[in-house]
Formats: sequence, structure tokens, C-alpha cells
Amino acid sequence: MKKKNDMVFILPAMIVVIVMTQIPFLLTIIFSTLKWNLARPDLPRAFAGFQNYVYFLKFSSLKDLPEFYSILWQTIVLTGVTLILCSFFGFLLALLFDHRIPGINIARTLILGPFFVMSTASGVIWKTTVLNTTFGWYGVIAEKLGYNAVDLLSYYPLSVIILLFTWRWLPFFILILLAGLQGIPNDLMDSMKIDGVNWFQGTFKIKLPLIMNHLEVAIMLGLVFVIKEFGLILVTTAGGPGTRSYNLPYAVYMQVFSANNVGRAGALAVMTVVLTLVLLNLLYKSIKKQSARYS
Amino acid sequence: MSDGRTLEQIQRSIKIKRYIKMSILTIIIYAIAIAYFSPILYMFISGFKTEHQAVMPSLIFKPTLETYKKVLGDPTMFRYLRNSFIQVVFGTSISLVLGVPAAFGLVFGRLRRSTTNGKIYFWFITTILLPPVAVIIPLFTWFQQFNLINTPLGLMAAYIGFHTPIVVWMVHSFFQDLPLEIFEASEIDGCTRFQQFTKIGMPLVKTGILSAALLVAVFIWNEFFLGFNLTGNPTATLPVYMARFREQQGMFVAQLSASSTIAILPAVIFGWMTQKALVKGLTLGAVKG
Repeated sequence: MKKKNDMVFILPAMIVVIVMTQIPFLLTIIFSTLKWNLARPDLPRAFAGFQNYVYFLKFSSLKDLPEFYSILWQTIVLTGVTLILCSFFGFLLALLFDHRIPGINIARTLILGPFFVMSTASGVIWKTTVLNTTFGWYGVIAEKLGYNAVDLLSYYPLSVIILLFTWRWLPFFILILLAGLQGIPNDLMDSMKIDGVNWFQGTFKIKLPLIMNHLEVAIMLGLVFVIKEFGLILVTTAGGPGTRSYNLPYAVYMQVFSANNVGRAGALAVMTVVLTLVLLNLLYKSIKKQSARYS
Repeated sequence: MSDGRTLEQIQRSIKIKRYIKMSILTIIIYAIAIAYFSPILYMFISGFKTEHQAVMPSLIFKPTLETYKKVLGDPTMFRYLRNSFIQVVFGTSISLVLGVPAAFGLVFGRLRRSTTNGKIYFWFITTILLPPVAVIIPLFTWFQQFNLINTPLGLMAAYIGFHTPIVVWMVHSFFQDLPLEIFEASEIDGCTRFQQFTKIGMPLVKTGILSAALLVAVFIWNEFFLGFNLTGNPTATLPVYMARFREQQGMFVAQLSASSTIAILPAVIFGWMTQKALVKGLTLGAVKG
């Protein structure tokens, strides 16, 4: 067979992706070393080394950590708790929805719905029709029961955002885990029954290890998508109160479009990417360890 | 049979037990599914209320088409709808035109070194991991400079850059299912590489291409971060319009409900249509690769 170079098929896609994602990312890294404020065009753009990073990372004592660390922590909590909730409930619901009942496909379709709803729409729907203290279901029901409805969005912003993230991403987990459960061969299930395996053993010792691959995929993709969520935070709490529900993407947005500080925003953006990679890497390693134990 | 029941009676009692178990399961499953979906359902219903009826939450009311009519006749809403539509149609089709040949090339193409295919594929996957915040600053400054904020082209270019890797990833897993022999045989018969792609490869992965297209369409339709930061008033898309309702503190519920129903309906329907292929693409692409 003749050796050919089939790069022509691949090259156009590569060029577009490089121009639209890789070059801007390199520029972001360069920007992060500059002193550059969009609101002050009179000031020269000057090389600042790692000053922008130092600005966020520097702390004088452990008790008095600067804002960046709380934002970092909030990002990790938002992502981590969402993924844990999604994995746990996703697995249980996938088990439940694996039953053959009449019209199961309708039920599956319904529960899958929230995943395809745009984040800003689901944010405003929850905010106005459910969480509003006077006009939402939450406020009305609380009043009927004689409670004073506190504004959940300002008292528990992180928990509410986690709830909304989970509401949106749980269907995705169910979808993938259900595919895993349905891929388990029937004769295995039959022999489980014959051997008298109880529900707990069957679920956690046999089914769970068998769909570990699917759970990994769901968690990895979930991490990639949840960590960059922005719209839901903007429409529900707008990062507030104060910066208590910022995540890193939201902080980047505020640095560019509110503070106009390109240099600092660049530094934050780079740190967001680093965080994503570090978390993915940690996850990947722990997953490999887990699956090594099972196989 | 110590309790004196006949075989028939035992069989019947097993049947009844199974039937009861099934019914309970059915009720539980439907209750969970409906409860989970209820915010969307309630929003859909509220669109049939007048603004006056929608102030306090209620499920029983006299439905009217007034609000939906008003929202659909609103030129502002129409502009956002049109912008979203343009982004989805052109963004998706150009991503496909770029991504499908690339996926073909990565599976069957012969490059100078045989390991290059895998490396480039891996590189495409890593670009999916890149969060949009990592590119927003340079894109924003470019777009300001070349005034791309006020044309749909700028955002479209960004969407293509971000979604081509997703097409490559999904279609790649479908191409991998095809046997290499078909292409070798067609080569002997005198097919050029390009004909192999258009006449043999593409028709065989039709479902893969379709599911990638639907998935990318849903992603672009729902995308907010880039759309919010890289568009001006004349080019903004639907998610940006929905975000404008964030400061309304429970007011204009009917209008909000009707508009968001219209905004989410296409994505939800597309999503439902693509769910089977989506699972295949996601799990195959990820478990293997």
C-alpha cells in the first residue's frame, strides 16, 4: 500500500481550533504577566513578571487569607459536592429507572429534561417561581406552614447553587449510568438470582464495579463542565452576598468586565486552567487506583 | 406444599405479589420523574396565565394564549431568537464540515508517523477540557479591536473553535467501529481518499454525525459565557436574553415563563432525540480513548 499523507483531512480543523482556543490561551498566559488596565489607556502596558499572581496568592498570616483563597475553596466545594451528590443519587436513580415498568421511557425522558435547559433559564425559573420569598412556591408554602421564609439565596448561596448545579447535572449522570446498567449481561443477573445474592451485595459488590467505567466518564465530564459554570451563578446570586458565591470563572469575569484589569484577570484564568488540570489529574489517579482494586 | 395450597394458588400469589411490586415501583418512578421535572412543567403552565394570574403560585386557572402571543410577537424576543438560530445553524454545520473529515483522517488517515494519529486525537480531547475563561480576555480584546462584537461572525468563530473538538471526539468513536478492510478494498478498486470519505465513510457513520450535530446544536443554543461576553445588543443570543430576567424579583412571571418555554423547548426536544446516540458517543469515546 502506498504511503500517503492524509493531513489535509485533519489540518483545517486543527488550524481553526488552534487559532480560536490555543493562541488565545497563550495570549492569556502572556497577559497574566503584564500590568494592563483597560480603564487606564494612558498607562503603558508593562511587564510585571509574576506580580499579578503574587497579588492573589500572597498572604501575611494563615488566619487572614486573602479573598482568592476563599474563592478557590468555593470553586472546589461547588464542584466537589455537586459531583458527589450527582454520583450518589445518580447511581441510586439509575438503579430505580432500570426497572421495566410500563412507559419507563416517558419517565426517563422527563427526568432527563433539566440537563438540556440552558443554565440562565433554569436559574431564573428557580429564582422567580420557586425560591422567591413572597411570590415563589417556597415562600408561599413556608407562609402556609407558619414559617418566616428567609431568603435562601442570600443566607445559603453556596448550598442553593449546589442544589441547582445538581438538579442540572444529575440527569446526565443517570443517563450514562443507566447505559452502564443496561449493558450488564442478562445471564449474569440470572446467576446472581440463583446464587441468592441479596440486594445490597448485588448492587454495591457486583453492579457498581461493573459500571465503574461509566461512573468515571460521568465524573470526568461532569468536572470539566461544572467547574466552568457561570450563567447559573450570575443569574441567581450574582456572586453575592459579597464574594461568597464566586467561583473562579465568575472572578475572572469580574476582573475583566468590572475591574478592567486584564493582567489580574489573566492570572486568575491561568489559575483556573491549572486547577481544572490538577483536579482532573487527581481524579484520574484515584480512579485508576480504584479500578485496579476491582480488576 | 406444607400449607396445603395447590400449585396454582402459589403461582397466583406470586403473580399478585409481582404485580403489587410493579405497581408500587411504577408510582415511585413516575412521582420522582414528575417532581424532578416540575419546575419546567410549572414554567410551561405559567406561560398560559395572564400577568395578573401569575403573581401568586397556582395550578388552577383559566388558560389563555395571550402571553405566548405577546412574547412571540415581541420584536426583541424575535431578534434574540434569530441570533441564536443563526449561531446554531452556521456554528453547527461549519463545526461538522471541519470535524467530520478530521475524525475520518484520525482513524483511517495515513500520516507520516503512525503514532501521530493518536497524538493529534489526544490533543483534540485536551482542547475540550479548556474552560472558556481561559480564552475570553484575548478574544474580547480582538473582538473590540475589529468590531466583531456587533456581527454574528465573531461569536460564530469562537463557537466553531470550541465545538469542532466535540465533533471530532464523537464521530471518531463511530468511525472506529468500521472495519479497515472496506477502505482497503475500495482503494484497490480505485477510489481516491476523498471518495472513500464521502462515498463510504460518511454514509456509514450517518447516525454518529447526526448525534454529534444535535449535541453541538444543543451546546451552542445553551451556551452563555461566550455569548454574554462577546456580543453586543444586536447580536446577543437567547441565553443572554433569559439572563435579563434575573433582576425582576418575582415580577413578570407569565412573560418569563412563556419566553423561557420558547427558549428551552428546541434544546430539550433535540436533547431527547439525541439521548441514545449521545450515550454511545460519550461512553465509547471516553471508555476507549
